[in-house]
Amino acid sequence: MKKIGIIIDKYHLKYKVSDFLKYLKSKAELSLYIEESFLFNSLKLNFDEDLFFVKAKGDLVLTLIKFIEEETSIPVINSYRGTWLAINRFLNSLYLKQASIPIPDFTLNPKGIIPPFRDYIIKNIIDQKNYKFIPIVHKENGQLKVADERALNEVDKTDPRYNYLYYQKFIKSKWEYKIYGIGEDIYFYKQLPILVNPNKMDSRTRIEEIPELKEYCYKAMEVMDLKITSLDFLKSKDQFFLTDINCTPNFNYIKNGPQIVADFLLKQAKK
Amino acid sequence: MEKLNIGILSKRKTMLTGKLKDCLEDKGFNVSIYTLKNLVINEMLLEEDFFILKSKSLFFLYAGFFLEANNKIVIPNPQISFMQKNRIHSHFLMKKIGLLTPDIYLGTVDTFKNNLDVNDFPLILKPIMGSGSKGVRLIKSFKDLKSEDRVIIYLEKFIKGIHYNIYFIDNEICTLIKPPLSHEHVNMKKIETPDDIRDLINKWRKFFNGDLLFGHLDIVREDTSNRLFVVDPGSFPEFSNWKCSRSYVENICDLIIDKYRKLKKNFNKN
Repeated sequence: MKKIGIIIDKYHLKYKVSDFLKYLKSKAELSLYIEESFLFNSLKLNFDEDLFFVKAKGDLVLTLIKFIEEETSIPVINSYRGTWLAINRFLNSLYLKQASIPIPDFTLNPKGIIPPFRDYIIKNIIDQKNYKFIPIVHKENGQLKVADERALNEVDKTDPRYNYLYYQKFIKSKWEYKIYGIGEDIYFYKQLPILVNPNKMDSRTRIEEIPELKEYCYKAMEVMDLKITSLDFLKSKDQFFLTDINCTPNFNYIKNGPQIVADFLLKQAKK
Repeated sequence: MEKLNIGILSKRKTMLTGKLKDCLEDKGFNVSIYTLKNLVINEMLLEEDFFILKSKSLFFLYAGFFLEANNKIVIPNPQISFMQKNRIHSHFLMKKIGLLTPDIYLGTVDTFKNNLDVNDFPLILKPIMGSGSKGVRLIKSFKDLKSEDRVIIYLEKFIKGIHYNIYFIDNEICTLIKPPLSHEHVNMKKIETPDDIRDLINKWRKFFNGDLLFGHLDIVREDTSNRLFVVDPGSFPEFSNWKCSRSYVENICDLIIDKYRKLKKNFNKN
C-alpha cells in the first residue's frame, strides 16, 4: 500500500478535506503533518512516504516542503516554488505576465501614491492566511475603488505589516471563470463575480471547455510549477485576464473532486 | 565615458548608500536612491540603466526581481540576495555548499514546549526573513518563549564559541572578533584571517561563480570541536567595521561598475 503524507493546517483539516481523507484512507496509508502541532527539527526528520500532498501555506509548511525537496526524492504536490509563488502575489503576477498570460495591469505602491489606472482593486500582497475575500467598495465620481479587507489589514493592522499596497486594474466582467487544473485534467466553471453576488456558489455552473483558458491554465501550471491549482479569470472585450491563482484550491466544488485529486496523487506517488 | 543612470534600492539614503552615491557621482554617474517611501514597482522604474540592490527587505527584492524580469541589470543578483536574506533558503544553501550551519527548529510555542527537552537549550530566536541582529534573541529555557498563540517561530541551535564577523571585498578578507549576537556596528577586534576561515570564504564565493563581489559571513568557532558554523550570511553589509587596506567605498563602486560592464557586454552579445 502506498503511503501518502498530508501537510496541512488545522483550518483545512477541519473544513476542507474530510471526504478527501475518507476516500484516500481506503486506498493508501496516510500520515498527517499539521502545521500548528508539528515540530520541524532539521536534525531529526526522516520520511518513508511515497508522496506528500500540501494543503496549507504557512512558514513551517514551506520549510518542510523545502526540506523534503532538498533532502529526499519524494515528490511533493504542490512544490516549494509553486507554493511560494502562489503566496507572493506580485511575483506570480510578474512571472505569469512574462509567460504571455494576460494579467490585468498591476503595480506595487507605497501607501499614499495612487496607481496609474483609474478603476482598481487593492489585493493582499502575501496570500498566506486562510481568510475570506471581503471586498470594500468605493465609488467616487464614476471611479471604482475596491479593496480586499486583508490588504488593508496588511498595511494598517495585523502582521505582516508594511507600507505597500498591490493595485490591480479593475476588469469589468459579466462572469468570473473558475478553472481547476489537476494534472492534465482541466475543469471549467463560471459564476457571477463576487462583487455582484458574494455567495459565489449560487450562480456557479459547469461550462464547456474554453480552449484559450485551457492553454493559459497549462502555461500557468508550468510557469508556477503547480500540479493542482485553481485560476480565476475575468473577461473584458473578448479578452480573458487571469486575476488570481491558488496553490490550495477547494476541490470539493468539483463533482467527485476529492476522489479525482486522491486518484491523481496515487498515480504520482513513487511506487 | 558612458553617463549611466544608476538606481540604488536602499532602506536609507545615508551611511554606505550615501557614500556610494557620492562615489558614483564623483565618477560622473547620475544616481537616484529609491527608499520604501518613493519606490513604486512598475514600468516607471525601468528608466534607470541599472540598479544596485543595497537593502534586501521584501519590497526591494520584489523590485529586483521585477527589474531582472524586464532585462535590467541588478547588482548584487536578487536571487542570491534573497537566498541569504531568507533563513530557510540560507540554511539549505549552506548545506548544499558543504558548510556547517546550526540545526533549525520551527513550530508554535506550545509545540516547542511539548517536544523540546531542557538539554536542547540554549537556542536563538530569529525572524525568517532577516539578517544581522534585528529581532534576534537568546532563548535559554522555556520561560524565554513568550506565548504567541499559533504563530510559527524559527529557532536555531546556539553554538558556543568565538564569534567572527568576516567581511570580504573581492579577494580581500577582513576578519573581526565580535560579541555574540551583536550587530555589525559594535566595536570589533581585527585579527589575522585563520587559514580555515579563508578556505571557508573561498568555498562560499566559489559557489556563486564570480557573482559575489563582496559580502559578509557571521561565523562561530565551536569551543568543543573547533569547527566553524556559518550563522548569518549577508550580501551587502554596511562595512562599518572594515579595518583592512584600501577604501571599501571606492573598491565597492569599482567592482559594481566593472560587473555592470561585463554583464552588459554579455547581454548585448546575446
